[in-house]
Amino acid sequence: MACNQFTGCCSLSPQKFPRAPPRASRPSRPPRPCTRAFPDTCGRCTDGAARVPPGWAPAQPAAWAAGAQSRGDFRVRGHRLRLRDGLSGEHAAAHPLSQAPALWRLLFRVLSLLRADRASASRAPEAQARWVKAALRAQGYPRLGLARLPEDGSQGSRELLLALAWLLAREPLPERLLAQTRVRLGDEMPVCECGALASPGQPAPRVDTAGPVDVRRLQWLMGKLRFRWRNLMASQQEQCALLGKIHAYTRGCHGDRSLGHLSVAETELLRDPEGGRQLLQRLESENARLEAALEWRRRELVFWQWMDTVLGACPPEASQPTFPPRLRGRGRRAGAWGPVAWELQALQEELQAAVGARRAAWAARVGGQGPEWSAARQAAQEAVGRELAALRQAWARGGGRAQPHRPHRLVRTEAGGPGGPGLRAAEVIGVLRSREACLEEMLCQLQEQCRQQLARLAGALPGLIWIPPPRR
Amino acid sequence: MEFRKLKELPVQVVIKQKLDDRPIVRNNRLGCSRRLVAELQDALDTCAERQRQLEQSLRVSRRLLRAWEPAETPTPEPTPGPETNEEAPSPACTPSPQDLKELELLTQALQKAVHVRKGISKAGKRDNASSLKSGSIATSATTAAAPHWASQTKLPRGTRQATRPAKGLPKPRLLSAGDQTCAGRGPLAAKPGPGLRDPQKAPSAAPQAPEAFTLKEKGTLLQLPMAFRKAASQNSCLWAQLSSTQTSDSMDATTSSKTQFLQKMQVTSGWPSSRLSAAEVEAEVGRLQKACSLLRLRMEEELTRDPKDWMQEYRGLLTLEGLQAIVGQCLHRLRELQAEESGKEVPGCHPRRPHSTVLTEVVEQQLGPWPEERPPMASLPCGGGADPTWSPQLLLYSSKQELQTLAALRLRVDMLDQQIHLEKVLMAELLPLVSMQEPLGAPQLALCRAVHSLLCEGGQRFLTILRDEPAD
Repeated sequence: MACNQFTGCCSLSPQKFPRAPPRASRPSRPPRPCTRAFPDTCGRCTDGAARVPPGWAPAQPAAWAAGAQSRGDFRVRGHRLRLRDGLSGEHAAAHPLSQAPALWRLLFRVLSLLRADRASASRAPEAQARWVKAALRAQGYPRLGLARLPEDGSQGSRELLLALAWLLAREPLPERLLAQTRVRLGDEMPVCECGALASPGQPAPRVDTAGPVDVRRLQWLMGKLRFRWRNLMASQQEQCALLGKIHAYTRGCHGDRSLGHLSVAETELLRDPEGGRQLLQRLESENARLEAALEWRRRELVFWQWMDTVLGACPPEASQPTFPPRLRGRGRRAGAWGPVAWELQALQEELQAAVGARRAAWAARVGGQGPEWSAARQAAQEAVGRELAALRQAWARGGGRAQPHRPHRLVRTEAGGPGGPGLRAAEVIGVLRSREACLEEMLCQLQEQCRQQLARLAGALPGLIWIPPPRR
Repeated sequence: MEFRKLKELPVQVVIKQKLDDRPIVRNNRLGCSRRLVAELQDALDTCAERQRQLEQSLRVSRRLLRAWEPAETPTPEPTPGPETNEEAPSPACTPSPQDLKELELLTQALQKAVHVRKGISKAGKRDNASSLKSGSIATSATTAAAPHWASQTKLPRGTRQATRPAKGLPKPRLLSAGDQTCAGRGPLAAKPGPGLRDPQKAPSAAPQAPEAFTLKEKGTLLQLPMAFRKAASQNSCLWAQLSSTQTSDSMDATTSSKTQFLQKMQVTSGWPSSRLSAAEVEAEVGRLQKACSLLRLRMEEELTRDPKDWMQEYRGLLTLEGLQAIVGQCLHRLRELQAEESGKEVPGCHPRRPHSTVLTEVVEQQLGPWPEERPPMASLPCGGGADPTWSPQLLLYSSKQELQTLAALRLRVDMLDQQIHLEKVLMAELLPLVSMQEPLGAPQLALCRAVHSLLCEGGQRFLTILRDEPAD
């Protein structure tokens, strides 16, 4: 029976999703065994459309099960879906033992992990289903069928399965989720250039005051921010000093010669055996998950072939002609677009002025040139064109990945030694310095702009003398 | 011009006037700065969060550098036999070949000592006496003593069995002598008190307090437990395998089947594919922002360049014009996105309201509340490591100063990023307010002063305004 053949396949895909990292705020959950069939998909198998190829060997559920055991206080959020053997026959759309609730939950978990959302897991199932729909829509999920599903989980496992497959197809999902929750053994320092502290989008709307705000409050908040920065800097320096000491004192202790010394996590594990046991457990469970992911990668092709048949068995959806306006998207994004549009416009004006001036100057010069330099002109045009094309690549989709983008593990080495593979701190310092200079310049420029504008305004007010503060 | 002291000199910031009833600004109150406060609060929160994380790591590091609690002294690797206990006096280390030789000599000496001691030691031996005696034996091998004790687990089987009987009696004494000679301080009576199962030693071992372990003195003796090392190496091995499967040839078939699946899903589904999802729009806006800053940088570079000959001048002109064209394109794209977002123009589609109203509403309802979210797309690629290839990424530094410089620069860059973002927000919010004010009046000037300091000096310095009244 084809359903039995589904056993391996169905139990493979959801189980590889990682468990949540242990966090004190989340309640501990035992693993959920679900032993139900996919009613809609299994209904397909009666007309032979969704048969699994005979070469399929069921995945080892044991490996999955072992990885999914909860140990101690380790939180498990995975799912195991096992098909009940021998399920056959036609399934009504509302099968009494539908897989849909489990799939809703799974989608909710995966999506909230992907978005790094702190969506509480304790939402009611209907709320979870709604959230999943919205989140999928936001990602661009094309099928309308999902939007039409009832939220009580009574039907629709086929649509949900398709949604899951869609998420899996778009990006290497298991790897990404695993990388997010990876156990970090070393002292990590991020090297990438993404602004960790700048919040580019609209912050969560927080209404502190009902009415207008006093500018003195703004001044106070700015001062508070400066103070916090100073504190942060001091703490950071102290932490670096301590790190340096720990690394120096544990020289020669690490088995791995390229590392040479222990990190804080490793030393801590030696100091505190209980914590060490927990770390070991986390490592081992991550190893189990990694193995499962490798297993998935080996057998993935079969899954896609199957999904192809499932999709083929669905009736094509009537295309939706009307475009419902995006709910809430407007309010949220209007703020985020303002700055970008404003900046681009300001840039355009500046460029216009600059180009105008240069054009005029050039026109004045060009009078005496002959046709012999038209070839040179052509060459210049091409060169500039190439440069600008390269510039465009810098922000194009997927560009800029050459730079190191992951947090690096800090390793202390002797100065002057050749060292092994790895980034040198001196290089990073150089890069950071240039970036710092660049940013400082940008800030000064912005402040200068403000100064000029305010001076213009001040000029309009007669009878006042404005004495700027002394420059540092 | 005469400067006169005035009755109401608006130099001081303190304004104790009652509320004015100006429409937008009420003496220092800004009408629409909820966004400002939200942004500042957001910045403060991020700082606080980072500070909290730093403090946590500081706590851990400080605790590691202090003397470790006796109950928490690291256990040597659990060997088969009676040595597994939690109060092992000192941790293991990796002995060098030279140490091994010394070890053998010491073993012989100890065996002799065992015979000597057997007759003498019983319950209630005084530490000083014993340490004096053992001191004579141990003086030459103080550094080897601890490694000897600790490296039992690393030695080959033969040596281990030879040392085992020798360890029984003089081990703790030897160690205490060694420690004292090494450390030269610490409680004299302190002695590691292992819970030895050696029946001879058991009665005498009870009452001693274990000596404190500090990382500074004995950090190089630490060794990670075998189980942990195995798990860690397996972990890195699995990650390497996972990343290699990404790039192997068998992936091509899978990739093509995935793309086929996605295309098929797009074709058969109801939503029009031309419409961008929220996530894509957000990503595009982010790219445009990046484009803006890169373009501006390029423009600055070009403007500050001094052309030496006409060719360079021409190239500069071409570059600026090219930049202008790109900026125009970006603006156009932004406007397109904005229009699409607000649903104004839908090229080539006729909304059939009467038929699909119900469905539209149903779909709208199903979409439900938009999940409130911070923009996670920006942070995820960095935090999660979108590129899950696991090759050990190391960052090598050579001194404490280097590490501190690196961390300080990183912090500074983040801070500048944040400052620039806040500056832009402030400019967007405050400049329009100030520019539309009716002039004069003390509250207006105080406001101008405050705004100037916020915008141009980062809130740190203030300018002085003097009213210039004609002498009369």
